[in-house]
Amino acid sequence: MADDFRLEVRSDPRLLRCIRNLVRGWLEACELEREATDEMVLAIDEACSNAIRHSYGGECDRFVELTLRADHDVVEVRLCDQGEPCPPEHRVRRELQAPDPDRLKPGGLGVQLMHRAFDEVEFCPDRTMGNCVIMRRRR
Amino acid sequence: MGLTIDQSEHDAKIRIAVRGEVDLYTSPDLRAVVMKAVPAAPAGVEVDLSGVDYMDSSGVATLVEGFKSARENSKTFVLVTPSPSVMKVLELARLDAVFEIDKTP
Repeated sequence: MADDFRLEVRSDPRLLRCIRNLVRGWLEACELEREATDEMVLAIDEACSNAIRHSYGGECDRFVELTLRADHDVVEVRLCDQGEPCPPEHRVRRELQAPDPDRLKPGGLGVQLMHRAFDEVEFCPDRTMGNCVIMRRRR
Repeated sequence: MGLTIDQSEHDAKIRIAVRGEVDLYTSPDLRAVVMKAVPAAPAGVEVDLSGVDYMDSSGVATLVEGFKSARENSKTFVLVTPSPSVMKVLELARLDAVFEIDKTP
């Protein structure tokens, strides 16, 4: 499977919309269903937002690297950054249930939305610096 | 165009009409308006989400903050006619049953 896109994008939240538009165009070219496309666009946006917010602490002059590839069986998205390694507890998949309104917390949803959209969400642990997450969805 | 936020008052409520895309870049603007409106509104806040084309988890977190603040202040906090894409992200986050949602057009 060859890469279709290898993008380096500056870690500026202003650019997230451009990333979404590009990813949507690519997924549509892959002839995926609308609902699957919407879910994956959201998940990829969440991964990029996490890199900007957490890995780079909001610094806008770093870069994230987004790689997109697909074949007949699977769509694969890879996102790498050179920032602070994300803490293990931020990678964990939780089974989301309707929360008690009194215990509702505003944060921590992004990774769960990544798990909802993709069959596999793999955080590469053996990196000396930065983070890399690979997300795969079977077609 | 990123995000447009309009406010109006009626029946002791503040109505916030949101149009455009709510993401990490634009959600701080929405948060500022919501968190100011909740204590200022005598009865409560309505957030009209019919014109929102896209919402990410930072937008959802903003709505959760507004909802919590309203509960603490004994105010109402209602999401009005959320667009299909907003309903979808609320469902994915399992929050569609938590918020009070008015789907009447």
